[in-house]
Amino acid sequence: MTLRLGRHAFADDATLMMAIVNRTPDSFYDRGATWAEDRAFERVALVVEQGAEIVDIGGIKAAPGVEIDAAEEKSRVVDFVARVREAFPGLVISVDTWRAEVGRAVCAAGADVLNDAWGGADPELVDAAAEGGAAIICTHTGGVTPRTRPYRIDYDDVVAAAVRDTVAYAERAVAAGVSPESVVIDPAHDFGKNTFHSLEVTRRLGEMVATGYPVLVSLSNKDFVGETLDLPVGERLTGTLAATSVCALAGARIYRVHEVVETRQTVDMVNAIAGRRPPHRAIRGIQ
Amino acid sequence: MKAVLVPGVFALLPEYAGLEDPVAELRASCLDAVAWLGHDVVVVADAQGQRVGSALLSATGVSTGSTPGSAYLVVGNGSAKRSEKAPGHLDERAHAFDATLGASLRAGRPDVDAALAHELWASVEGITRMRELGDLGPAQVDYDADPFGVQYWVMRWEW
Repeated sequence: MTLRLGRHAFADDATLMMAIVNRTPDSFYDRGATWAEDRAFERVALVVEQGAEIVDIGGIKAAPGVEIDAAEEKSRVVDFVARVREAFPGLVISVDTWRAEVGRAVCAAGADVLNDAWGGADPELVDAAAEGGAAIICTHTGGVTPRTRPYRIDYDDVVAAAVRDTVAYAERAVAAGVSPESVVIDPAHDFGKNTFHSLEVTRRLGEMVATGYPVLVSLSNKDFVGETLDLPVGERLTGTLAATSVCALAGARIYRVHEVVETRQTVDMVNAIAGRRPPHRAIRGIQ
Repeated sequence: MKAVLVPGVFALLPEYAGLEDPVAELRASCLDAVAWLGHDVVVVADAQGQRVGSALLSATGVSTGSTPGSAYLVVGNGSAKRSEKAPGHLDERAHAFDATLGASLRAGRPDVDAALAHELWASVEGITRMRELGDLGPAQVDYDADPFGVQYWVMRWEW
């Protein structure tokens, strides 16, 4: 099935890079490097040049911290979305938000995707996506409250829970009027999950792919990589790319990333090994 | 009668296609020449060359003939030792060998030194068998280059 992300359509074998662009002073990886609007805009221009098909603009860091209300969140992202929309008409613009109020405002400003990292915490977000003609990312968080860390969360079977909850969320989105071509599911590594859970959803990602919904993975520099390799933020790229390879082999479609170039190379290489993508240019031995 | 010579380049096979075609110009010449042959074409080649010939016939929709007829697709090429980056590395005799073979092909009377061809990794079985077709007369040369250190020709004859 064609994947439709707002204004943009992609073939059913396309893999897409979603570059993270934070309009926050305190996100874990960049620590506010793109908090200033012009710095964030430069980041958009850079990732577009690097080949990212999607930018994912966020106004609130995922971890607990200073409370940001909807008005403040909108002030961080809405005008910025409009600026990016105007400058990059061919770019897919995603906004990382769980709030329907913010979702409606960014759709009006030109967003194509609402990336709900918090698993449907605001039940009206699907309506905002439907009204705005946007796609929606349906994540699994185990039902936690937005911006909370996992604490002694337990699952009988974390992958079964992720499949069940994301598919239920996807069906709720379609029932609300979101096009079935515009629904993506995401197991949400580290969200409502300990490291063992995130490793297991990586290992069994094929079960999410088997649902038929396009699967997004957000692995980039996360704590499950850090804990697995005993490495701090800033030294997790190799581990991130290893996890990326496993997800690519399983058939993940969208990769939410800090490092676009490295991830694109990894995904293309894995898909060539899997026989889903030809080599770029091959002549060795077949002259 | 018509005959066409193309090289037995595996990169022409659909199963070895990449996103970017490293032999685009050669492929275009081959397809154009093969299409010119018409129908009921007999492939004259060794086993590997047969694969390439069949693929080109399929790509152009040209039918295959099994009995000697009026159109022949010959698959063969010169040496594969024309440069240090060539598959067989550089052999100083390669250019002279290809020049002689090329001139004889242009004249329509292929003259193959089979022993030297073997040493220089030239694929000449089909070219050698061209002599059974008689004197072909002067060739039209569509392609003559060695982009990877292997000598390729695309030629046509009508006699």
